[in-house]
Amino acid sequence: MLSRFFQIRNPKGVIGLNRRNIKLIYPHNERKYYILADDKVKAKMILHKNGIACARTYAVIERISDIKSVWGKLQEHRTLVIKPAKGCGGGGIKILKKTKSGVWQSSGKTLTDAQIFQHITSILSGLFSMASSDACLIEECIIPHPFFAEIYDEGVPDFRIITLKGKPLMAMLRMPTSKSDGKANLHQRGVGIGVDMKSGTLTHVYDGKRYSNHHPDNEKMVFGKRIPYWFTMLQLSKKTAQAFPLDYLGIDLVIDKIKGPQIMEVNVRPGLGIQLVNKCGLQSTIE
Amino acid sequence: MRVPNLFKFILGGLTIMALVSIAYKVNFLSNGEDAQETDEVYQVSYHYFFKTDTSHTLIKAYLPKNNARQQIKGQKSVMPKSMWFSTNADGGNLRGHWETGEKNTYESISYSFSFRGREQIFGLTENFKAVPNGMATYLKATENIQVTSEPIANLANDLTIGAISDRAKVQALFDYVHHIPSAPIITLTDALGALARNKASCNGKSRLLVALARNLGYPARIKGGIILRESNKRTSHAWAELFINGDWVPFDALNGHFAYLPANYLELYEGDEFLVTHTPGIQFDYSYEITKQEVLPLFDGDSDSSKKVIAFSLWGLVQSKTMSKGNLFLLLMLPLGGLLVALLRTIVGIRTFGVFLPVLIAFSLLETGFLTGMALFLFLILFVGLITRPFDSMGLLHTPKLVISLTLMVLVMAFSNYLGATFHISWLGSLTLFPTIILTISAERFSKLIVEDGMYKATGTLFQTLLAVSVCYVVFSLKGLDTILILFPELLLLVMTTCMLLGRYVGLRWTELLRFQPLLNPKYL
Repeated sequence: MLSRFFQIRNPKGVIGLNRRNIKLIYPHNERKYYILADDKVKAKMILHKNGIACARTYAVIERISDIKSVWGKLQEHRTLVIKPAKGCGGGGIKILKKTKSGVWQSSGKTLTDAQIFQHITSILSGLFSMASSDACLIEECIIPHPFFAEIYDEGVPDFRIITLKGKPLMAMLRMPTSKSDGKANLHQRGVGIGVDMKSGTLTHVYDGKRYSNHHPDNEKMVFGKRIPYWFTMLQLSKKTAQAFPLDYLGIDLVIDKIKGPQIMEVNVRPGLGIQLVNKCGLQSTIE
Repeated sequence: MRVPNLFKFILGGLTIMALVSIAYKVNFLSNGEDAQETDEVYQVSYHYFFKTDTSHTLIKAYLPKNNARQQIKGQKSVMPKSMWFSTNADGGNLRGHWETGEKNTYESISYSFSFRGREQIFGLTENFKAVPNGMATYLKATENIQVTSEPIANLANDLTIGAISDRAKVQALFDYVHHIPSAPIITLTDALGALARNKASCNGKSRLLVALARNLGYPARIKGGIILRESNKRTSHAWAELFINGDWVPFDALNGHFAYLPANYLELYEGDEFLVTHTPGIQFDYSYEITKQEVLPLFDGDSDSSKKVIAFSLWGLVQSKTMSKGNLFLLLMLPLGGLLVALLRTIVGIRTFGVFLPVLIAFSLLETGFLTGMALFLFLILFVGLITRPFDSMGLLHTPKLVISLTLMVLVMAFSNYLGATFHISWLGSLTLFPTIILTISAERFSKLIVEDGMYKATGTLFQTLLAVSVCYVVFSLKGLDTILILFPELLLLVMTTCMLLGRYVGLRWTELLRFQPLLNPKYL
């Protein structure tokens, strides 16, 4: 009876949290380097230094006294994104667009400079990062490639590629749904779409319960769809993995309409749901 | 899997150390005597203060003896050099005599011993065996036990009309005497007096019960002693014993013990006597000093082999009163509880609020009781989680917000305590038994989790925490676990080695078996 609990048949090589922590994260990622991935400002510095494609950094604000002067210099841009450096779960991110009359808008609502300063102040005082202080990152706004809109036209989709010692193991495309409030996270009711690493095509759509071959909000066939710039993305993720002193990473990418694949974020503790999305255990990709 | 040598070395070392030490002690223990779990141990001292007479002065007091339910040890008499002390057998009793020839001096004497007692319960048959010969003394009338007087005879007769068995008769007599209102009467109350006044202390009640029993032909006698409680008191106690089927069976009609004697009854003498008597006319005062001793159940702390084991355990901390047994137990339980939670998290895969919260809540449940405690815990988490919500939407920083939650938690606890005291609702008062700060952090996390992951996941975590609490509670309430942990603190080393193994466990968690079922179950593929 007891042995049945412990000798579970696992032909697909599924990795659980215990094995992920002990075999992948602890030996490959040194804790002192976590901050390089967790802090978006530091991560972007590494990316820029290595010439890896990512959203241009317009400004980094670390002090409340700097807000006004920095903001003044940003007025030439038409769109930009404001992010907390150590935020998690997408909290505190604001996408700002300038209208023709020259006022800033976010999600269709007009924001005064005072409101924007207030938001940046909140970021700096650590409201979104469970810390006593944080930095504010202001960067270029990426315009998603039409490829994403062909699948589903709203929210912020992205690719996730898992790398081990610079080698991409597994990938998926995360898509928002009408139920996920613009977020692409699997546990926020987004969907994951498997990726055939060799051919660079999409496979099943997984909504956390069932597999299908189309996005839950429309009937357009997804299975077998070609991913533009796939091999560029693989190259980019390898380059990213080499740029960081961390050997097990979840790299998030998005494809810009004009500039092509861009690195969005680097994760030290990537989730395990990707195995379900691809119907494949991570262990089998390592051996 | 390659295991580092250091890991093997520490794991093996700790395990061997713990096992050897435990085996060594168990070896001694298996030679020791067994002791009952319900045993109670007290240190008792008689203190007598008096002014000696103009001639010879004599103090007499009954001394305890060993019997089937009480064990007396370490008897010691402390007295001035001018006195001499002797023990004298007196019928079935043992009496101490303190004598002196000193005149007009103030003296004090004390006599102390340790008592280990266990409760005694008799199952009575419906009808009793015939009374053997030689019981005449226990059936006859005395000055204060008026067996044959009319009121006693009539009452005994009235009470037992319709009683079909001996047991029913005795029960009827007992119930009657038990229901006489009790009153602390200092003057001597005989059987008739207790009946006439319909008010009696232990003496009156036991005389009346003995008189009624003897009237019906059941041999009966008065038993004298002291009810032991942590105190310094002057009251002794008396109850009745009936000779039933070859045993003297105790009946305490004052405290309602029918054929039962609690563990803390010190038996001192039989017969309608006074515990202490002295030369008439002298100034005399007395007190009985009683201190309760912690005991290790299942284990006799006084035997030689046990002493050796105790020397290598933490029991010394309790004996020297450095730490109460309860506190020591809680301390030793922490790692064990932590281990349970670690097992639940890494093998079963449940999510809990913190690692030690379930352990500490389980401790509180030991005080409040399981269901009440669970309900209170849920109430505190939900209520404080809820009333802090308005503060969440104000966009406050984390630390000040946490202090607001803590303040609210303290206010809720204090207010419920107040309500509990005002309206005499005891469970409301037990709110303060919960670990306030940890509870606040959980309430905080709970309300944050609702925002981050939705109500569904937050309540999921809450109920999994409750599950972990229940598991800890069940383990903590295992009988004898406290004794084992205090005697064998090496077990904590085994907790460490288990955690070393657990820390390298790479298998799937049980909850992951569900999560990854599509990949594990061929049926899905």
